[in-house]
Amino acid sequence: MITKSMRHVFPLLLLTAFPAWGETISLSFNQHATKNVFQTSDAVADQISVFSLAFDKDLSAFSLLGRAEYSAFNQTSGMSFFAAAAGVDYLVPASRKSAFYFAAGGTGEIYRQTYEAFNSLGANLIGAFKAYLAPSSILKLQWQGQYAAYKDDLFDFLSQTLSLSVDKYFPSRTTLKADAGWGYKYFLHPFLPEPAEPAAVTALMSGGNSGGAGTGGRGMGSGGSGGGGGYQYQGGHGFIPRYSSEGGGAGIGHVSTSLLAAQGIGDSVGLSVSGLRQWIVSGESPFMSIEEFYYVQNPTSDSFSWEGTQLNGRITLELPWDLSVKSGYTYSDKSYPGVESMSSEGVPLGVTRNDRQNLIEVRLQKDFRRLAVFLAYSYVDNISTDPLFVWRSPFLMAGIEWRLPTAGKGGVS
Amino acid sequence: MNRKRLSIPLLAALTAAAAAPQGGPFYNVDKEIRVEATVREIVLEPRYKGTAPFLVLRVEESGSARAFDVEIAPSWFFGQDVHGGEKVKIVGSLAEKPGATPIIIARELQLRGQTYQLRDKHGFPSWQGGPQHKRGARRFGRP
Repeated sequence: MITKSMRHVFPLLLLTAFPAWGETISLSFNQHATKNVFQTSDAVADQISVFSLAFDKDLSAFSLLGRAEYSAFNQTSGMSFFAAAAGVDYLVPASRKSAFYFAAGGTGEIYRQTYEAFNSLGANLIGAFKAYLAPSSILKLQWQGQYAAYKDDLFDFLSQTLSLSVDKYFPSRTTLKADAGWGYKYFLHPFLPEPAEPAAVTALMSGGNSGGAGTGGRGMGSGGSGGGGGYQYQGGHGFIPRYSSEGGGAGIGHVSTSLLAAQGIGDSVGLSVSGLRQWIVSGESPFMSIEEFYYVQNPTSDSFSWEGTQLNGRITLELPWDLSVKSGYTYSDKSYPGVESMSSEGVPLGVTRNDRQNLIEVRLQKDFRRLAVFLAYSYVDNISTDPLFVWRSPFLMAGIEWRLPTAGKGGVS
Repeated sequence: MNRKRLSIPLLAALTAAAAAPQGGPFYNVDKEIRVEATVREIVLEPRYKGTAPFLVLRVEESGSARAFDVEIAPSWFFGQDVHGGEKVKIVGSLAEKPGATPIIIARELQLRGQTYQLRDKHGFPSWQGGPQHKRGARRFGRP
């Protein structure tokens, strides 16, 4: 009897308690469409629907947050995945003009069968300090550490970054900002054990990813890679590991510097230009080659894997009726030490992979009281020493975000 | 059945706890003003019991040179970079005490051409998320 009545009451209790616990809840839905989901010369069109739920709660100087998200791929449904994150942060005032900030969080990603090798659990730690050197000048120092463990443990890593920035605002409404950074990523065990037959190694190192027991060679990532088995990587996910009888880990480190200049014009126009230069100072990527995967670790999206230059120009327009337009252009020239360019047949070309990319982005957003809708378009033209990465494609995205009014009025209102 | 009856007060208590005031001045919609000003100083100050310290802007009204302390939000110190000398437009509730700098509890802030909704029109805080200000910017170090 009790169980039966609680069956009706419990959902109501949860619905009531959740707003009491989470001060802000937001729901969002984004719809992506692209002609090249893998971002390679073997273009595959897809549409992706992303549903997410996030909450936020302040408890004095602490805050809690959580987020759950499901990305559904229409054409390549085996790539669909669920991601979740939870964390806590803490603000510690050091003075009236400076403060420390600490955060800790955990993340998890679960893919459907095609990419289940990339299922992962991770943890993040952040420590930051911000101080006003003068009312118009800010100093920031931040350290971030990250750990991720994958189902396929070749990708397991520890990383840390340290950044220092100083900015200055001038009465001409110009802001100048300089940034210096250092980062180091350590793959815990990225090597496969030496196979018993040396001939098999030679075959693999010289382009074995295009044949054998593999599942498709270069091109669209497909097939399973399984965890830990050496020969299973012949073509699976287009990933070519290195072999080592000693095992152990491998690290790659970089330093970077960037400059930004921003200018406000009137009440509704903002302009900015920025430049970033990054150098690899130790190690190289432990993987000879890895193809592109949407939302999955790969050299192009891994900030630790490249050295080179990135230039960006951006304009922001605030229009009447709470409309805003943001548009930008980014040019990048990146080399990936340790990652070799391959021919279409998968034969190493003896050249480190280098990509030059032009990216144009436009985003139109309309804000309502508890709702925001947006439409975004981007176009990428990528030129590479590796023919697999010579591609160009448009991306289209539309989204809606709805913030639920759950907060109590509280003492701060 | 009795259990269900017992649950009703519990639900009511949970709802009441969510809406209960925790002390400090309330947002008074009848005292809402609009000010154009220049930021003179940025400070982090404890304002209300049970909340993190607030980002407070000491501003000077354009034209009159009248000074105000503008309460922004607890999460803004790391989430946004506000500089002295920047022009801002503020919509908020004015709270005055004799002999003290008047306070504006900001509902809307326009900064560098971008408008941030800090509270809704009734004064309910919305600085923790939503379309106008992604709280995630404060977390995990994203710029």
